Amino acid sequence: MMKRETPLLPISDAREAALFFVVGALCFLAALAALTTRGTYKAAEAWGAQIEGDITVVMRDTDRRTAEQAADRVTGLASVFEARILSREEVEALLEPSLGPGGMPDGLPVPILMVVQADTSVGDPAQSIEGVLDDLSIDGDVAGNAGYAENVRGALGVLRLVALSIVALLSATAVAVIAFATHAALLARRDIVDVLHLSGAEDRFIAGLFERRFWVLALQAGLGGSVAALMITALIVFTGSGSDGVEAQLLPRLSLDFWDIVILLVTPLMAGLAARIAARVTVLASLKDTL
Amino acid sequence: MSRIRPDLSDEPAVRLDGVSLTYERTGEVLSEIDLILKQGSFTFLTGPSGAGKSSLLKLMYLAHGPTRGGIRLFGRQTYDLKRKQLAALRRRIGVVFQEFRLLNHLTAFENVALPLRVSGMKADSYQNEVIDLLRWVGLGERVDTPTPALSGGEQQRVAIARALINKPDLLIADEPTGNVDPEMGQKILRLFAELNKRVGTTILIATHDLDLIREFDAPVLRLSNGLLVRDVEFGGEA
Repeated sequence: MMKRETPLLPISDAREAALFFVVGALCFLAALAALTTRGTYKAAEAWGAQIEGDITVVMRDTDRRTAEQAADRVTGLASVFEARILSREEVEALLEPSLGPGGMPDGLPVPILMVVQADTSVGDPAQSIEGVLDDLSIDGDVAGNAGYAENVRGALGVLRLVALSIVALLSATAVAVIAFATHAALLARRDIVDVLHLSGAEDRFIAGLFERRFWVLALQAGLGGSVAALMITALIVFTGSGSDGVEAQLLPRLSLDFWDIVILLVTPLMAGLAARIAARVTVLASLKDTL
Repeated sequence: MSRIRPDLSDEPAVRLDGVSLTYERTGEVLSEIDLILKQGSFTFLTGPSGAGKSSLLKLMYLAHGPTRGGIRLFGRQTYDLKRKQLAALRRRIGVVFQEFRLLNHLTAFENVALPLRVSGMKADSYQNEVIDLLRWVGLGERVDTPTPALSGGEQQRVAIARALINKPDLLIADEPTGNVDPEMGQKILRLFAELNKRVGTTILIATHDLDLIREFDAPVLRLSNGLLVRDVEFGGEA
């Protein structure tokens, strides 16, 4: 019967337990940051599209009937989902922050407002709407949100960049921690390394021992971190998704779709791979100064 | 397994030319050593404690390089070897360390098999060979015993078996009888002599036990204060 081979590096000690925790925590944070980055991206896309699609048309010196006519014609435009004239109550509600809760004075000249929801990805409907106003001899302005949306997209782009930087920083920290731990393990196992060398082991054989050790450790720790990130995300998705309003729209859209699962699965693999490379490079560099 | 085997069969197994070794802390421990060990020779190295025996052996088994001078093993200059070549050369050398240097988390079997394992051999290809060697050194019943559970003498024999498992061209032993009783010491040296005679392995044994040396017709080198003196009191030439 063939004998089972004991690993040449002794099984883990307290140092490796601490390293396991650190790598697991870093993977948890990296996975969460990656999910948040993706959520931010999705939120930015959805929110930007919504803002860009909202168009307000201000009509002056016209009656409500002509305005309704304009709304009907605008609704018929190719890229427009809906166009409607705001009721007096809705306009009063909009002006309430400026005029107070007492309502508008009867004699106050208030423009008629038409809100349009359009698909800006098909094309900018502003010119077509202006054409409708001209046809009906309405003095009015079309106020799109493209510029505002651009600013929002810019701000969210910065947020995405920050989130990606955090992922990169966490990954770099994990690699540095593993490189440091490998070096420490190498020093702690110097007696074994010397015996292996004097028994004729090549550097890459010794590096392979450390590579495998840290590959498995980082893979397991990364899996733990990913599972923790999955649980936190699931908690947010299933308990926080009920909230709506502006706050909910501004927050990153955490979900658990296919690509989120891919992120969670790739995180431990990346950690393992980074650990493997870090261990190999560290050991080979350190062994140059030994026997 | 790649091996460095020069065609120069007349080259000595070991050749030291003007070798000196200085440690930062203790100063010069070896001074201008010239030494030739012919292939197939059997030689003793003696000297008082601190004379530099272990340091001289370390240079020969390539644990470190000399401060000055040149070392040639099997006709190959060693100072310019690449690390891969160094590993290949080490596989031709078996070393019995004074302090055994066994891996405590491994069994007797696994310690003996270490040189084969690091050279990439699979366990099923060397299993019988390792067990036979352990039987030969009297440890047939201790094959699967963890190293810490072995006595000093048993550990010594495991270390000897490990040094021999690769069928080395050069065997260097640093006080191989230091932790065994005189009877076992005799047995170990006879084992080395038999290996030298049968296989032609070049053997260098460092020991301070002159009583053991007397029984062998072999040249004796003596180290004193870092200087090498040929001592022909007991045997022939190296």
